Amino acid sequence: MVDLKELQDKAKEVISRDDVRRLIGWQRGTYGFESAPIVVTDASDADKLIFDPTCVQNPASFITLEEKRPVPRGQEPDTRKVAVMVKGCDSRAIVQQLVEKAYPRENVIVMGMPCRGVIDRRKAAALFGDVTPDEVKLDGDKVVVSLNSETKELARGDILADKCMRCRYPNPLVSDELMTEEVEKWGADEFADVDEFEKMSPADKWKFWEEQFSKCIRCYSCRNVCPMCYCVECVVAKLKPQWTRRSTDISENAAYHVQRAWHLSGRCIECMECQRVCPVDIPIMTLNRKMTRDVKEMFDYEPGVDVEAEPLLACYNPQDPEDYIM
Amino acid sequence: MGDYKFAKDKLAEVLSSLGDYQVFAPTPAGDVVRFLEVKDPAAVTLESANSTVPPKELMFPETETLFKYRLGDTGLDPSVPDASARRLVFGIRPCDAMAYTIVDNLFSWDFTDPYYLNRRENTTLVGFACGDPCANCFCPSMGGAPASEKGLDALMFDLGDTFYVKTLTDKGDAFAKAAGLDAAGDAESKAAEKQAEEALGKVKRSIDTAGIPEKLPSLYDHPFWEQFSDRCLSCGICTFLCPTCHCFDIQDEAEAFNARRARMWDTCMFAEYTVHTSGHNPRPTRKERTRNRISHKYSYFPEKFDVIACVGCGRCINNCPVNIDLLDILEKSKQAEGKEAKTA
Repeated sequence: MVDLKELQDKAKEVISRDDVRRLIGWQRGTYGFESAPIVVTDASDADKLIFDPTCVQNPASFITLEEKRPVPRGQEPDTRKVAVMVKGCDSRAIVQQLVEKAYPRENVIVMGMPCRGVIDRRKAAALFGDVTPDEVKLDGDKVVVSLNSETKELARGDILADKCMRCRYPNPLVSDELMTEEVEKWGADEFADVDEFEKMSPADKWKFWEEQFSKCIRCYSCRNVCPMCYCVECVVAKLKPQWTRRSTDISENAAYHVQRAWHLSGRCIECMECQRVCPVDIPIMTLNRKMTRDVKEMFDYEPGVDVEAEPLLACYNPQDPEDYIM
Repeated sequence: MGDYKFAKDKLAEVLSSLGDYQVFAPTPAGDVVRFLEVKDPAAVTLESANSTVPPKELMFPETETLFKYRLGDTGLDPSVPDASARRLVFGIRPCDAMAYTIVDNLFSWDFTDPYYLNRRENTTLVGFACGDPCANCFCPSMGGAPASEKGLDALMFDLGDTFYVKTLTDKGDAFAKAAGLDAAGDAESKAAEKQAEEALGKVKRSIDTAGIPEKLPSLYDHPFWEQFSDRCLSCGICTFLCPTCHCFDIQDEAEAFNARRARMWDTCMFAEYTVHTSGHNPRPTRKERTRNRISHKYSYFPEKFDVIACVGCGRCINNCPVNIDLLDILEKSKQAEGKEAKTA
């Protein structure tokens, strides 16, 4: 368990440093099981920081989301560091961003948060409706939820996100300092969901995706929340010339999702944020996890686990399979 | 205008009897509920608190063809799609019906939009009063109520085994006649009144909007926006799922010689929304975009049309992945100290 006071004091110390510009973590949300990311720029706001199983969002997304204004003539750009709190899964985004040289390592201060799982808000809503809990914590194999002066114990799988049940990296893979002791790994990932999906016939698969993609309203929340979708100009936002039409129909929607899946192959670090944020429940990660498994099987490559690695598409090994060349 | 009722187990029968109308009703696909054309009455649900995607898409679709044309032809022979079908929206929540009355201002303002207005004209709205408002509903603060009649042709109440239907306009009466509903009496209308009052008491959240439209322009450069925009993803959830957001883009799409001019939802939360041809963007960061979303709803729109462009449905709060809470922004805007007003 994290000592909140200790965490906030540490954050205060970090944000007070002359060479630190902002600190990204989590704060309490305004209702239900919600948490919200927070960007702290002043030590007085550090008291808002929390860490508990409601902290679902990936703070690493906000490193690349920041839009910088043009620097006025005669002024120097602000090159101070960004501090960011990351769970194990979140940290893989930073590793992969570093592998891709999105920014130099010394630009970020990584505060590691060993984690034992986060809440799936859809599961929580199904169990508890609109109620706002007083406290949510993990106790051994149980999730303990206190609400309305009652305490409910739940099995972890009943309320935690599916990704947590197969988590192999509960401890941050890159960090300058861990905020708590490391936790023991419990999960394994056999890609059972991908196996299950692959049993479908090609016709059924197409029918499935046709239904799913037809729902898409192209809000681009999946792209925007993705820590690996940090292109300066996304291909679907290109207007001169326009590569993807704005209109929503099965053809354009599928083009968008398939493009995104391809652009993430060998890069997706499986934080599952895209699927979590989708307002129309498209199982986006089914595509990404298929790519992840293929990459792993064909090239023995896993993105976001080794800062020293080369990006998959930038390295070549004579042993790479060539089955796809007829 | 009359009082009608029908037994709950007759729902499918009632829906099937509306053959003269193209009927739309809330239909689930997994956890997502949308207003779809009723093909199978058994697929319709009235159980969900509200649809995920608001029924604004029935008047103002995500993408719609304005007209078709052929490339290379001399002269333009645009064929405008026929939108004269008689439609009925069944089970629309009072907030979403009120939203139409707000958006009407825009589409009948400097240019009367035939696409939107024809559909409005040809559509009967059969509302469904909320017995159990959600966590983030605040319709009473916006002049609505769980059983508001604004904009509706008829309003249904769930009274356990029966639905009580109160018709409010001629269109509503025509629906009751077409559906062959039974007459209801005092008992039902009293029960509905009681339910409406109870539901009003169950609404948990509220905002006193007095002074907000006048105050927001004074907060134009205020840093308080940043505590929200810093975590904003700049995605389209809050605006696309908003029943009053009405911005659109118009694009020409051509395939070989066949082309169309289409319009599709657009949102001020996207960076490219304001990009000039030169490449300059007057709203370069999420701060300006967040400010615009709130200011448009709560200041610019009421300044022009004397009504706030929000109905308190709570969708933007419910669906925001980073918990940007409209009511939280509004409360903080009241506390923030403004500077002399600057125009937008």
